Amino acid sequence: MTKPRLALLTGAIIFAIYPLIVSSTFGQRVGVLVLLAALSGIAWNVIGGYAEQVSIGHAVFYGIGAYLPLLYYTRTQSNPVVMIPLAMALAALVALAIGIPTFRLRGHYFSMATLALGQLFVLGVTIAPALGGASGLSGPVEQNPWELSMRSPVPYYYVFLVALALMLALVAWLERHRVGFYLRAIQSSERAARSLGVPVYRYKLIALMISAALTALAGSFYALFVGFVNPDSVFGLLVSVQMVIVATLGGAGTLYGPLLGAAILVPTQEWANATFGGGGTGLSYVIYGAVIMVLTRFEPGGLLGLWKRLRFRAAASA
Amino acid sequence: MTKRFSLGFVSLIVVAATLATLCSGIRAHAAPPPIKIGVIVPLTGVSAPSGQAMKAAIELAAKIVNEGNSKDLAPLPLTQSAGLPNLGGAQIEPIFADSQGSPSVGQTQAVRLVTQEHVVALFGSYQSGVTKTTSEVAERYGIPFVCGDSVAAELTARGYKTFFRVTPAITEFAKVYIAFFDDLKKQGKNIKTIAVVHENTDYGTAVGDAMEAVTKGTPYQIVARIPYTASATDLSAEVNQLKAKKPDAVLFASYTSDSILFAKTMNELGFTAPAIIGDDSGFVDGTFLKTSASIMEGAMSRSSWAPPKPGTPAYKINQMYKAMGYDFDTFEAAARDMQGFWVLMDAINRAKSTNSDAIIAALKATNLSPQQLMLPYHGVKFDDKGQNVEGAAIMEQIQNGKYVVIWPSSFAQAKLEWPFVGKK
Amino acid sequence: MMNVLNFAHGEFVTLGMFTALLAFSFWHTGPLVFVPLAAVVLFVVGQVVYYALIRDVMRGPMFAQVLATFGLLLFIRYMLFWIFSPNYRTLPSTLLGGTAHVDGLYLNYPKVIAAVVAVVLTAAVYYLLVRTQIGSQMLAVAEDREAARLMGIDPDRVQALAWGISAACAGVAGALLATFYYISPDVGGTFVLFAFVAVTLGGFGSVPGAMLAGPIIGLVQVATAYYTSPEFAEIAVFTLFVLVLWVRPQGLLGRSIGGS
Repeated sequence: MTKPRLALLTGAIIFAIYPLIVSSTFGQRVGVLVLLAALSGIAWNVIGGYAEQVSIGHAVFYGIGAYLPLLYYTRTQSNPVVMIPLAMALAALVALAIGIPTFRLRGHYFSMATLALGQLFVLGVTIAPALGGASGLSGPVEQNPWELSMRSPVPYYYVFLVALALMLALVAWLERHRVGFYLRAIQSSERAARSLGVPVYRYKLIALMISAALTALAGSFYALFVGFVNPDSVFGLLVSVQMVIVATLGGAGTLYGPLLGAAILVPTQEWANATFGGGGTGLSYVIYGAVIMVLTRFEPGGLLGLWKRLRFRAAASA
Repeated sequence: MTKRFSLGFVSLIVVAATLATLCSGIRAHAAPPPIKIGVIVPLTGVSAPSGQAMKAAIELAAKIVNEGNSKDLAPLPLTQSAGLPNLGGAQIEPIFADSQGSPSVGQTQAVRLVTQEHVVALFGSYQSGVTKTTSEVAERYGIPFVCGDSVAAELTARGYKTFFRVTPAITEFAKVYIAFFDDLKKQGKNIKTIAVVHENTDYGTAVGDAMEAVTKGTPYQIVARIPYTASATDLSAEVNQLKAKKPDAVLFASYTSDSILFAKTMNELGFTAPAIIGDDSGFVDGTFLKTSASIMEGAMSRSSWAPPKPGTPAYKINQMYKAMGYDFDTFEAAARDMQGFWVLMDAINRAKSTNSDAIIAALKATNLSPQQLMLPYHGVKFDDKGQNVEGAAIMEQIQNGKYVVIWPSSFAQAKLEWPFVGKK
Repeated sequence: MMNVLNFAHGEFVTLGMFTALLAFSFWHTGPLVFVPLAAVVLFVVGQVVYYALIRDVMRGPMFAQVLATFGLLLFIRYMLFWIFSPNYRTLPSTLLGGTAHVDGLYLNYPKVIAAVVAVVLTAAVYYLLVRTQIGSQMLAVAEDREAARLMGIDPDRVQALAWGISAACAGVAGALLATFYYISPDVGGTFVLFAFVAVTLGGFGSVPGAMLAGPIIGLVQVATAYYTSPEFAEIAVFTLFVLVLWVRPQGLLGRSIGGS
């Protein structure tokens, strides 16, 4: 078996049995947070990494996915999970609304549009008491696996793991089929792609819609896991940036990059907060920022790019 | 002879060694393990100044109780002997976690504190959204949760068995204003129209809602309710609206940065009203006083900390707090937190155990008298929803750059200056 | 204009504010000293940031730029947090004079002066770009870096200069803001969003566009606050922005790029 395949298999096994070998609730919770970060990172990657249309307002889709189920639950006391497909569809529609005007132009306009839309949603939801306003919305309190309301993190872990596997399968499929080819052509050079007959505009929109729907799914999972949402925690700028960091630090435009990014970033954040957080000096953020700068400066391909480079060098010197 | 001597000598040493081990073993057993309490506060993010002040206050509370032997703090519980007397002098160890102002980070930290650090109770968390999720974790694990500062009404409406709030809720504070206005009327200072200016996150909106609810059916009329986006870059529009409505009293529910901006804007645009009142938060913050007191002479604020008279326990505590670089006169929420934390320490002591149910029962049975408190509450006694029904607040006013208590008369240090002066 | 989205731009503004604060606290100097001082300090900072970080990241994919500048944002903001603590500070409001009451209008001196300086500075930058040789060098490098190099222009030196000027402008803005706004490590972030909106609304690459968009944004904010309610002010700005993107995506004066 080749080295990368072996690494993948090992990784898959570790992910599969993680909650069984880590018995502490906190550790299991961190595992769930890793999966959530990976889900949203992979979703962002579809449009941000593969097609290189950098969205810095993806929290819009995340928030739609988070709010709709809890809104439904708060109003009707019925199962919030049933709203998830609707949330995904709504997110795709909003994506269409942003993409149509801005994809005709160069990258920066799209990014700015996503940024503005994110802020718009934060402000809009805050002043709307019907949407929970500033106080936010809460999820189901009683234990009910069908409503994804459970006490232990372990069931959540496995539900999200299955979703992750499906998402990876979807992206791998996209990679191998026309959509993937077109997106990669767009990424290298839009002009060249268009001259070769690639329907650039259409495929950018398709990629964005897929990305939005998947991001909404991640948002719904978040809402049901934490059991509480408010405008800043799901629509805020930090949410959007976290997705970008997870995907790019791991390796944007690759299948496993965001997963690697999440697996390294989230535990590091939790460790930093547990160790330094209580001191409150903000030092962990200074280090965090420095690490990000150093990594992007020396290896824009992220950690996966770094690994590939080291392997190449090792193979070359062999 | 030598052999018997050496045998005896050796046996003596063995006996002595055994005795010594036994004694030290007893002494080792006699030192009880520290009592860990998880404290979740915003140490970074927008509310960092308040969070850091809270941390210092709680550290001070733990230090006072752990050292004991403070004769001058006598009526306050746990001050006469080191640590918790009913638990063999066990030391209190607060373990701090940064919520970063985020409900989900707070939640993760709560889980960590309960499951990794095995804390016996949780305390926190300033922002109501964070308190919501952290106390939910406590409820899930059956661990007692004491809140000293979040005032949102809904926190005690959840039917939790583990949640105890020492500070009055926002609805109680709204009643304080009405009582104050009623007293003012008796002095011939009439307030009929009120404007409420509030930031639009859950804190400010709660204040706006509470004021509307409490003035229903009273002669007081809310002529303007002006919500604004927190951390605003410009507040002239809001102040201009106030100028148009000309209210008798204006109530501000805003955090520090916005309060500073309001003060400047009101000064620039020449807006005044007979009564300018801040609902605590930004108005009692040290930075606000430092930057804006000179143009806010006569501004008032409700507070649950009454700047104390020298010689009182509260005064001594503030002196200690000042030595740490803070001041309760300017970080009032931290004072409420310190009081809340003290209630928790006292309950653990009365429970005589670190068992969750025992502590919860002890909290339920809390009945502290005003002499045992550092704040001007009427006492500490929880209702069946976990709310302290004996909380209270005073009204203070900026006179000559400092806050002095002007109401109620039992706490008043100075006479009310009327109307609002502004720039002195 | 250099086609780099700088997330940390707001932090340059914050650095300008802190420069003003330090100059005032330690040397007791007024705006006449600390405003130019902020410009100089930030000019250096801008160049350092370019050479140390941006130059390498620029050539890479766009998400790397976003990431790198975000890392810079965290680094600067929390370094300030660590050194100065999160507490708010202000400079005395009398530094640049008080408020004049003219004909029912309240004119606040510090704000008026800041506005005037802003206009003058923007005009100066525009003049630099379109009338001077160094300006055309900058435009050349922005358009095609390699071609510019073949023409004998040193792209690094020129772009570093652009970064320096951009940072210096932010620094001046910060120093002027410090005369009427509060100072804290978080402040920069509040302003950077609207700055981005202004640039996009005006059209990327167009200085007159940004010049036009700025006051428009301000007017929309104030008018909305006056006619409806203050909490709608920011929403109105962002809504306007989204609408303009729908109708005229390249902004007011941006080049009409057909997706090249």
